[in-house]
Amino acid sequence: MASNIIVQIGSEVSEFSLKKLERAKLYGKRRRLNLDLDGQPCTRAELTHDGSLLIKSGMTSQGYFDEGRNWIPRSELVGIDTAGNLVEKVPSTLGVTQDLEGPVPVEEVLDLAITSVYMLDAVEVAPSLAESLDQGDTFRFRFNYRADYHAECAYLVKNSEGFFVLVGSPTTPEWCELERVAVDTGEEESILDDDLDFDMF
Amino acid sequence: MHILHLMNANQRDANVAIHSVRHISEISQGVPGKELNFLRYLQATPNGLHESLSATCGEEYSQALIDGDPEIDLDLIGRTVGPTTTVYLSATGDVMHAAPEVVDVLYAPDKSEKERRAAEDTPANVREDVPVQWTGRKMSKTDVICRFAFKRTIQLQHVDGLTYDFLYAMAKELHDENVLVLVAGGETGKEPLVMQRNGIPYRGFLEGRIDGEKYQLLLHLSNMELKRFE
Repeated sequence: MASNIIVQIGSEVSEFSLKKLERAKLYGKRRRLNLDLDGQPCTRAELTHDGSLLIKSGMTSQGYFDEGRNWIPRSELVGIDTAGNLVEKVPSTLGVTQDLEGPVPVEEVLDLAITSVYMLDAVEVAPSLAESLDQGDTFRFRFNYRADYHAECAYLVKNSEGFFVLVGSPTTPEWCELERVAVDTGEEESILDDDLDFDMF
Repeated sequence: MHILHLMNANQRDANVAIHSVRHISEISQGVPGKELNFLRYLQATPNGLHESLSATCGEEYSQALIDGDPEIDLDLIGRTVGPTTTVYLSATGDVMHAAPEVVDVLYAPDKSEKERRAAEDTPANVREDVPVQWTGRKMSKTDVICRFAFKRTIQLQHVDGLTYDFLYAMAKELHDENVLVLVAGGETGKEPLVMQRNGIPYRGFLEGRIDGEKYQLLLHLSNMELKRFE
Protein backbone atom coordinates (compact mmCIF):
# COMPACT_ATOMS: atom_id res chain seq x y z
CA MET A 1 0.00 0.00 0.00
CA ALA A 2 1.30 3.39 -1.00
CA SER A 3 2.30 5.93 1.64
CA ASN A 4 0.07 8.93 2.14
CA ILE A 5 0.15 12.32 0.46
CA ILE A 6 1.31 14.89 3.02
CA VAL A 7 1.14 18.58 2.13
CA GLN A 8 1.91 21.73 4.04
CA ILE A 9 0.75 25.28 3.51
CA GLY A 10 2.14 27.80 5.97
CA SER A 11 2.49 25.90 9.21
CA GLU A 12 -0.55 23.69 8.59
CA VAL A 13 -0.12 20.09 7.51
CA SER A 14 -2.77 17.95 5.80
CA GLU A 15 -2.58 14.25 5.05
CA PHE A 16 -4.54 12.03 2.65
CA SER A 17 -4.52 8.38 1.68
CA LEU A 18 -4.91 7.75 -2.04
CA LYS A 19 -6.50 5.29 -4.47
CA LYS A 20 -6.07 5.47 -8.23
CA LEU A 21 -9.23 6.49 -10.05
CA GLU A 22 -9.84 4.83 -13.41
CA ARG A 23 -12.73 4.93 -15.80
CA ALA A 24 -13.35 1.17 -15.56
CA LYS A 25 -13.81 1.46 -11.78
CA LEU A 26 -16.61 4.01 -12.26
CA TYR A 27 -18.41 2.84 -15.37
CA GLY A 28 -17.11 -0.64 -16.20
CA LYS A 29 -15.48 -1.33 -19.53
CA ARG A 30 -16.04 -2.75 -22.98
CA ARG A 31 -13.75 -5.40 -24.39
CA ARG A 32 -13.78 -6.67 -27.95
CA LEU A 33 -13.37 -10.43 -28.22
CA ASN A 34 -12.52 -12.55 -31.27
CA LEU A 35 -14.16 -15.98 -31.25
CA ASP A 36 -13.17 -19.08 -33.21
CA LEU A 37 -15.57 -21.30 -35.14
CA ASP A 38 -16.54 -23.06 -31.88
CA GLY A 39 -17.34 -19.76 -30.17
CA GLN A 40 -14.25 -19.92 -27.99
CA PRO A 41 -11.98 -16.87 -27.50
CA CYS A 42 -9.09 -16.66 -29.94
CA THR A 43 -5.60 -15.68 -28.94
CA ARG A 44 -3.63 -13.13 -30.87
CA ALA A 45 -0.29 -14.05 -32.40
CA GLU A 46 2.06 -12.57 -34.99
CA LEU A 47 3.56 -13.89 -38.17
CA THR A 48 6.90 -12.50 -39.33
CA HIS A 49 6.73 -10.96 -42.78
CA ASP A 50 8.84 -13.72 -44.28
CA GLY A 51 6.33 -16.20 -42.90
CA SER A 52 9.03 -18.22 -41.17
CA LEU A 53 7.97 -17.78 -37.58
CA LEU A 54 4.71 -17.69 -35.67
CA ILE A 55 5.24 -15.56 -32.59
CA LYS A 56 3.03 -16.37 -29.61
CA SER A 57 2.64 -14.57 -26.32
CA GLY A 58 5.80 -14.89 -24.20
CA MET A 59 8.17 -15.43 -27.11
CA THR A 60 9.52 -11.88 -27.35
CA SER A 61 11.07 -9.35 -25.06
CA GLN A 62 12.43 -5.86 -25.60
CA GLY A 63 15.24 -3.76 -24.28
CA TYR A 64 17.99 -1.26 -24.94
CA PHE A 65 21.04 -2.20 -27.02
CA ASP A 66 24.17 -0.19 -27.83
CA GLU A 67 25.82 0.19 -31.25
CA GLY A 68 27.60 -3.13 -30.78
CA ARG A 69 24.28 -4.87 -30.12
CA ASN A 70 25.16 -5.35 -26.44
CA TRP A 71 22.16 -5.47 -24.14
CA ILE A 72 22.03 -2.60 -21.63
CA PRO A 73 20.21 -3.45 -18.38
CA ARG A 74 17.69 -0.87 -17.23
CA SER A 75 19.66 -0.43 -14.00
CA GLU A 76 22.48 1.16 -16.07
CA LEU A 77 20.20 3.80 -17.58
CA VAL A 78 20.40 7.31 -16.16
CA GLY A 79 18.43 10.50 -16.74
CA ILE A 80 19.86 12.88 -19.35
CA ASP A 81 18.51 16.32 -20.21
CA THR A 82 18.37 17.89 -23.67
CA ALA A 83 21.83 19.43 -23.16
CA GLY A 84 23.29 16.02 -22.38
CA ASN A 85 23.68 16.66 -18.66
CA LEU A 86 23.00 13.96 -16.10
CA VAL A 87 19.79 14.40 -14.13
CA GLU A 88 19.42 13.40 -10.50
CA LYS A 89 16.77 10.81 -9.68
CA VAL A 90 13.76 12.33 -7.93
CA PRO A 91 12.68 10.29 -4.91
CA SER A 92 9.05 9.38 -4.30
CA THR A 93 7.11 12.22 -2.72
CA LEU A 94 4.67 9.90 -0.96
CA GLY A 95 5.03 9.98 2.81
CA VAL A 96 7.18 13.10 2.56
CA THR A 97 5.73 16.54 3.29
CA GLN A 98 5.41 18.64 0.15
CA ASP A 99 4.85 22.39 -0.04
CA LEU A 100 1.37 23.26 -1.21
CA GLU A 101 1.17 26.32 -3.45
CA GLY A 102 -1.89 28.27 -4.38
CA PRO A 103 -4.64 28.94 -5.03
CA VAL A 104 -3.43 28.60 -8.63
CA PRO A 105 -5.15 30.00 -11.75
CA VAL A 106 -7.74 27.66 -13.23
CA GLU A 107 -5.98 27.81 -16.62
CA GLU A 108 -2.94 26.16 -15.06
CA VAL A 109 -5.03 23.09 -14.26
CA LEU A 110 -6.63 23.12 -17.71
CA ASP A 111 -3.12 23.14 -19.24
CA LEU A 112 -2.15 19.97 -17.36
CA ALA A 113 -1.60 16.85 -19.48
CA ILE A 114 -3.12 14.47 -16.96
CA THR A 115 -1.44 11.09 -16.56
CA SER A 116 -3.27 9.84 -13.46
CA VAL A 117 -6.07 10.76 -11.11
CA TYR A 118 -6.32 9.77 -7.46
CA MET A 119 -9.30 9.70 -5.12
CA LEU A 120 -8.29 10.83 -1.64
CA ASP A 121 -9.45 10.01 1.85
CA ALA A 122 -8.62 12.70 4.36
CA VAL A 123 -6.59 11.60 7.36
CA GLU A 124 -6.17 15.17 8.54
CA VAL A 125 -7.13 18.37 6.74
CA ALA A 126 -6.18 21.85 7.90
CA PRO A 127 -9.38 23.89 8.40
CA SER A 128 -8.17 26.80 6.27
CA LEU A 129 -7.30 24.45 3.41
CA ALA A 130 -10.69 22.72 3.62
CA GLU A 131 -12.44 26.08 3.52
CA SER A 132 -10.43 27.24 0.52
CA LEU A 133 -11.06 23.99 -1.38
CA ASP A 134 -14.79 24.25 -0.61
CA GLN A 135 -14.77 27.61 -2.41
CA GLY A 136 -13.38 25.96 -5.53
CA ASP A 137 -9.72 26.86 -5.06
CA THR A 138 -7.03 24.56 -6.42
CA PHE A 139 -3.57 23.94 -5.04
CA ARG A 140 -0.38 22.61 -6.62
CA PHE A 141 2.36 20.37 -5.21
CA ARG A 142 5.14 18.12 -6.48
CA PHE A 143 4.21 14.50 -6.95
CA ASN A 144 6.25 11.43 -7.76
CA TYR A 145 4.62 8.07 -7.09
CA ARG A 146 7.93 6.22 -7.30
CA ALA A 147 11.53 7.38 -7.70
CA ASP A 148 12.38 8.30 -11.28
CA TYR A 149 13.88 11.15 -13.28
CA HIS A 150 10.77 13.23 -13.71
CA ALA A 151 8.63 14.61 -10.87
CA GLU A 152 5.14 15.57 -11.98
CA CYS A 153 2.79 18.34 -10.93
CA ALA A 154 -0.24 17.50 -8.83
CA TYR A 155 -3.33 19.61 -8.26
CA LEU A 156 -5.58 19.16 -5.25
CA VAL A 157 -9.29 19.79 -5.92
CA LYS A 158 -12.52 19.13 -4.05
CA ASN A 159 -16.10 18.64 -5.14
CA SER A 160 -19.29 17.25 -3.58
CA GLU A 161 -17.86 13.71 -3.87
CA GLY A 162 -14.66 14.46 -1.99
CA PHE A 163 -10.99 15.25 -2.53
CA PHE A 164 -9.14 14.38 -5.74
CA VAL A 165 -5.65 14.85 -7.10
CA LEU A 166 -4.92 15.40 -10.79
CA VAL A 167 -1.35 14.41 -11.70
CA GLY A 168 0.48 15.24 -14.91
CA SER A 169 2.85 17.54 -16.71
CA PRO A 170 2.24 21.12 -17.83
CA THR A 171 1.69 21.97 -21.48
CA THR A 172 2.01 25.30 -23.27
CA PRO A 173 -0.61 25.87 -25.97
CA GLU A 174 0.50 28.22 -28.75
CA TRP A 175 -1.12 31.58 -29.34
CA CYS A 176 -2.81 31.76 -32.76
CA GLU A 177 -2.36 34.92 -34.82
CA LEU A 178 -4.04 36.01 -38.05
CA GLU A 179 -0.81 35.75 -40.04
CA ARG A 180 -0.02 32.23 -38.86
CA VAL A 181 -2.42 30.01 -40.75
CA ALA A 182 -2.43 26.24 -40.22
CA VAL A 183 -0.66 24.67 -43.19
CA ASP A 184 -1.43 21.25 -44.62
CA THR A 185 1.97 19.57 -44.97
CA GLY A 186 0.35 16.39 -46.24
CA GLU A 187 1.52 14.59 -43.12
CA GLU A 188 -1.13 13.44 -40.68
CA GLU A 189 0.21 14.15 -37.22
CA SER A 190 -0.69 11.26 -34.97
CA ILE A 191 -2.86 13.09 -32.49
CA LEU A 192 -4.99 10.17 -31.51
CA ASP A 193 -2.64 7.23 -31.05
CA ASP A 194 -3.72 5.10 -28.05
CA ASP A 195 -7.25 6.35 -28.58
CA LEU A 196 -9.02 3.15 -29.61
CA ASP A 197 -11.85 2.16 -27.37
CA PHE A 198 -11.35 -1.56 -27.36
CA ASP A 199 -9.15 -3.70 -25.20
CA MET A 200 -8.35 -5.78 -28.24
CA PHE A 201 -4.84 -4.82 -29.27
CA MET B 1 -3.52 18.10 -41.01
CA HIS B 2 -6.53 17.00 -38.97
CA ILE B 3 -9.79 18.82 -39.57
CA LEU B 4 -12.70 19.55 -37.25
CA HIS B 5 -16.07 20.60 -38.64
CA LEU B 6 -17.41 23.06 -36.08
CA MET B 7 -20.60 25.10 -35.76
CA ASN B 8 -20.89 28.13 -33.50
CA ALA B 9 -23.83 29.32 -31.42
CA ASN B 10 -25.19 31.25 -34.44
CA GLN B 11 -25.40 28.09 -36.58
CA ARG B 12 -22.42 29.12 -38.74
CA ASP B 13 -20.03 26.29 -39.49
CA ALA B 14 -16.50 25.90 -40.84
CA ASN B 15 -13.71 23.37 -41.16
CA VAL B 16 -10.74 24.24 -38.98
CA ALA B 17 -7.38 22.65 -38.25
CA ILE B 18 -6.74 20.76 -35.02
CA HIS B 19 -3.63 19.43 -33.33
CA SER B 20 -2.92 17.79 -30.03
CA VAL B 21 -1.47 19.76 -27.12
CA ARG B 22 1.22 17.62 -25.56
CA HIS B 23 3.84 17.76 -22.87
CA ILE B 24 7.30 17.24 -24.35
CA SER B 25 9.67 15.76 -21.82
CA GLU B 26 13.12 17.32 -21.62
CA ILE B 27 14.55 14.26 -19.91
CA SER B 28 15.32 10.94 -21.53
CA GLN B 29 16.98 7.81 -20.20
CA GLY B 30 20.21 6.51 -21.62
CA VAL B 31 23.91 5.89 -21.04
CA PRO B 32 26.23 8.90 -21.45
CA GLY B 33 28.31 8.63 -24.61
CA LYS B 34 26.37 5.72 -26.06
CA GLU B 35 23.68 5.68 -28.68
CA LEU B 36 21.03 3.20 -27.63
CA ASN B 37 18.35 1.51 -29.67
CA PHE B 38 15.18 0.07 -28.19
CA LEU B 39 14.66 -3.28 -29.87
CA ARG B 40 12.23 -6.14 -29.67
CA TYR B 41 13.85 -9.54 -29.88
CA LEU B 42 12.99 -13.23 -29.75
CA GLN B 43 13.52 -14.68 -26.28
CA ALA B 44 11.89 -18.07 -26.82
CA THR B 45 10.76 -20.35 -29.64
CA PRO B 46 7.57 -22.43 -29.47
CA ASN B 47 9.68 -25.32 -28.11
CA GLY B 48 10.88 -23.11 -25.28
CA LEU B 49 7.44 -22.17 -23.98
CA HIS B 50 6.08 -23.71 -20.78
CA GLU B 51 3.51 -25.96 -22.49
CA SER B 52 6.10 -27.49 -24.76
CA LEU B 53 8.76 -27.89 -22.08
CA SER B 54 6.35 -29.50 -19.62
CA ALA B 55 5.20 -31.91 -22.34
CA THR B 56 8.72 -32.96 -23.29
CA CYS B 57 10.56 -32.71 -19.95
CA GLY B 58 7.75 -33.12 -17.40
CA GLU B 59 6.27 -30.55 -15.03
CA GLU B 60 9.46 -30.25 -12.96
CA TYR B 61 11.81 -29.29 -15.77
CA SER B 62 14.05 -26.77 -14.00
CA GLN B 63 16.97 -29.23 -13.74
CA ALA B 64 16.54 -30.09 -17.42
CA LEU B 65 16.96 -26.39 -18.26
CA ILE B 66 20.21 -26.27 -16.26
CA ASP B 67 21.56 -29.51 -17.68
CA GLY B 68 20.76 -29.21 -21.36
CA ASP B 69 19.36 -25.77 -22.25
CA PRO B 70 16.46 -27.34 -24.20
CA GLU B 71 14.69 -23.97 -24.28
CA ILE B 72 17.43 -22.24 -26.26
CA ASP B 73 17.49 -22.36 -30.04
CA LEU B 74 20.84 -20.81 -30.92
CA ASP B 75 19.72 -20.05 -34.48
CA LEU B 76 16.74 -17.95 -33.42
CA ILE B 77 17.06 -16.65 -29.86
CA GLY B 78 18.13 -13.01 -29.79
CA ARG B 79 16.99 -12.38 -33.33
CA THR B 80 15.47 -8.90 -33.74
CA VAL B 81 11.76 -8.95 -34.46
CA GLY B 82 10.76 -6.56 -37.22
CA PRO B 83 7.30 -5.84 -38.65
CA THR B 84 4.80 -8.62 -38.24
CA THR B 85 1.26 -9.46 -39.31
CA THR B 86 -1.42 -10.18 -36.75
CA VAL B 87 -2.99 -13.62 -36.91
CA TYR B 88 -5.52 -15.23 -34.63
CA LEU B 89 -5.22 -18.67 -33.11
CA SER B 90 -8.23 -20.81 -32.26
CA ALA B 91 -8.73 -22.07 -28.71
CA THR B 92 -6.84 -25.22 -29.77
CA GLY B 93 -3.87 -23.13 -30.91
CA ASP B 94 -4.35 -23.47 -34.67
CA VAL B 95 -3.96 -20.50 -37.00
CA MET B 96 -7.40 -19.28 -38.07
CA HIS B 97 -7.80 -19.09 -41.84
CA ALA B 98 -11.24 -17.46 -41.64
CA ALA B 99 -12.08 -14.17 -39.98
CA PRO B 100 -13.07 -14.67 -36.34
CA GLU B 101 -16.51 -13.74 -35.07
CA VAL B 102 -16.19 -10.47 -33.18
CA VAL B 103 -18.26 -9.67 -30.08
CA ASP B 104 -18.25 -6.80 -27.62
CA VAL B 105 -18.34 -7.81 -23.97
CA LEU B 106 -19.51 -5.23 -21.45
CA TYR B 107 -18.21 -5.48 -17.89
CA ALA B 108 -19.66 -3.79 -14.81
CA PRO B 109 -17.37 -1.80 -12.48
CA ASP B 110 -17.14 -4.94 -10.29
CA LYS B 111 -15.69 -6.71 -13.38
CA SER B 112 -18.72 -9.02 -13.77
CA GLU B 113 -19.92 -9.55 -17.34
CA LYS B 114 -23.08 -7.52 -18.01
CA GLU B 115 -23.75 -8.13 -21.66
CA ARG B 116 -22.32 -9.77 -24.76
CA ARG B 117 -23.38 -8.57 -28.19
CA ALA B 118 -22.29 -8.55 -31.81
CA ALA B 119 -19.54 -5.99 -32.30
CA GLU B 120 -20.53 -2.72 -33.91
CA ASP B 121 -18.08 -0.20 -35.28
CA THR B 122 -18.44 3.32 -33.95
CA PRO B 123 -17.88 5.91 -36.69
CA ALA B 124 -15.99 9.13 -36.03
CA ASN B 125 -18.21 12.20 -35.84
CA VAL B 126 -15.92 15.22 -35.92
CA ARG B 127 -15.07 15.44 -39.62
CA GLU B 128 -18.42 14.54 -41.11
CA ASP B 129 -21.10 16.49 -42.91
CA VAL B 130 -22.76 17.12 -39.57
CA PRO B 131 -20.61 19.57 -37.60
CA VAL B 132 -19.66 19.48 -33.96
CA GLN B 133 -22.03 21.92 -32.29
CA TRP B 134 -22.21 24.17 -29.28
CA THR B 135 -24.77 22.66 -26.95
CA GLY B 136 -25.47 25.96 -25.25
CA ARG B 137 -24.48 24.42 -21.93
CA LYS B 138 -21.80 26.59 -20.38
CA MET B 139 -19.94 25.83 -17.19
CA SER B 140 -17.54 27.88 -15.12
CA LYS B 141 -13.89 26.92 -15.37
CA THR B 142 -13.76 26.12 -11.66
CA ASP B 143 -16.78 23.85 -11.95
CA VAL B 144 -15.23 21.99 -14.89
CA ILE B 145 -11.84 21.31 -13.30
CA CYS B 146 -13.49 20.08 -10.10
CA ARG B 147 -15.89 17.72 -11.91
CA PHE B 148 -14.00 16.22 -14.86
CA ALA B 149 -10.63 14.65 -15.56
CA PHE B 150 -9.35 15.51 -19.02
CA LYS B 151 -7.60 12.87 -21.03
CA ARG B 152 -6.35 15.07 -23.84
CA THR B 153 -6.56 18.57 -25.22
CA ILE B 154 -6.94 19.50 -28.88
CA GLN B 155 -6.09 23.01 -30.06
CA LEU B 156 -8.14 24.57 -32.86
CA GLN B 157 -6.44 26.77 -35.43
CA HIS B 158 -7.69 28.82 -38.37
CA VAL B 159 -6.92 27.82 -41.95
CA ASP B 160 -7.62 31.24 -43.51
CA GLY B 161 -8.73 34.75 -42.63
CA LEU B 162 -12.40 33.88 -42.42
CA THR B 163 -11.84 31.01 -39.98
CA TYR B 164 -9.58 33.32 -37.94
CA ASP B 165 -12.58 35.63 -37.41
CA PHE B 166 -14.80 32.61 -36.71
CA LEU B 167 -12.50 31.12 -34.07
CA TYR B 168 -11.39 34.43 -32.55
CA ALA B 169 -15.00 35.45 -31.92
CA MET B 170 -15.68 32.11 -30.29
CA ALA B 171 -12.58 32.38 -28.07
CA LYS B 172 -13.49 35.95 -27.10
CA GLU B 173 -17.02 35.04 -26.08
CA LEU B 174 -15.81 32.20 -23.86
CA HIS B 175 -12.93 34.28 -22.48
CA ASP B 176 -15.18 37.22 -21.61
CA GLU B 177 -17.73 34.98 -19.89
CA ASN B 178 -14.96 32.94 -18.19
CA VAL B 179 -16.71 29.69 -19.07
CA LEU B 180 -16.28 26.55 -21.12
CA VAL B 181 -19.02 25.38 -23.46
CA LEU B 182 -19.96 21.75 -23.91
CA VAL B 183 -19.78 20.73 -27.56
CA ALA B 184 -21.25 17.58 -29.05
CA GLY B 185 -21.54 15.72 -32.35
CA GLY B 186 -23.98 13.70 -34.42
CA GLU B 187 -27.35 14.55 -35.97
CA THR B 188 -28.86 15.33 -32.58
CA GLY B 189 -25.96 17.54 -31.54
CA LYS B 190 -25.88 15.69 -28.24
CA GLU B 191 -23.57 12.76 -28.92
CA PRO B 192 -20.13 12.52 -27.35
CA LEU B 193 -17.23 13.24 -29.69
CA VAL B 194 -15.56 10.29 -31.41
CA MET B 195 -12.35 11.53 -32.99
CA GLN B 196 -11.62 8.41 -35.05
CA ARG B 197 -13.42 5.21 -36.04
CA ASN B 198 -13.90 3.06 -32.95
CA GLY B 199 -12.30 5.81 -30.89
CA ILE B 200 -13.11 6.61 -27.29
CA PRO B 201 -16.28 8.73 -26.91
CA TYR B 202 -15.43 11.97 -25.14
CA ARG B 203 -17.33 14.87 -23.69
CA GLY B 204 -15.80 17.97 -25.26
CA PHE B 205 -15.41 21.26 -23.43
CA LEU B 206 -14.32 24.26 -25.48
CA GLU B 207 -12.22 26.89 -23.73
CA GLY B 208 -11.31 30.26 -25.21
CA ARG B 209 -8.50 32.66 -24.31
CA ILE B 210 -7.54 35.90 -26.00
CA ASP B 211 -4.57 38.24 -25.71
CA GLY B 212 -5.09 41.26 -27.92
CA GLU B 213 -5.53 39.90 -31.45
CA LYS B 214 -4.19 36.48 -30.48
CA TYR B 215 -6.37 33.61 -29.35
CA GLN B 216 -6.27 30.08 -28.00
CA LEU B 217 -9.25 27.81 -28.54
CA LEU B 218 -8.79 24.55 -26.69
CA LEU B 219 -11.04 21.51 -26.83
CA HIS B 220 -10.60 19.58 -23.58
CA LEU B 221 -11.74 15.97 -23.87
CA SER B 222 -12.96 13.99 -20.90
CA ASN B 223 -14.29 10.47 -20.48
CA MET B 224 -14.27 10.41 -16.70
CA GLU B 225 -15.90 12.39 -13.93
CA LEU B 226 -14.25 13.01 -10.59
CA LYS B 227 -16.43 10.62 -8.60
CA ARG B 228 -15.78 8.11 -5.88
CA PHE B 229 -15.95 4.39 -6.58
CA GLU B 230 -16.83 1.69 -4.06
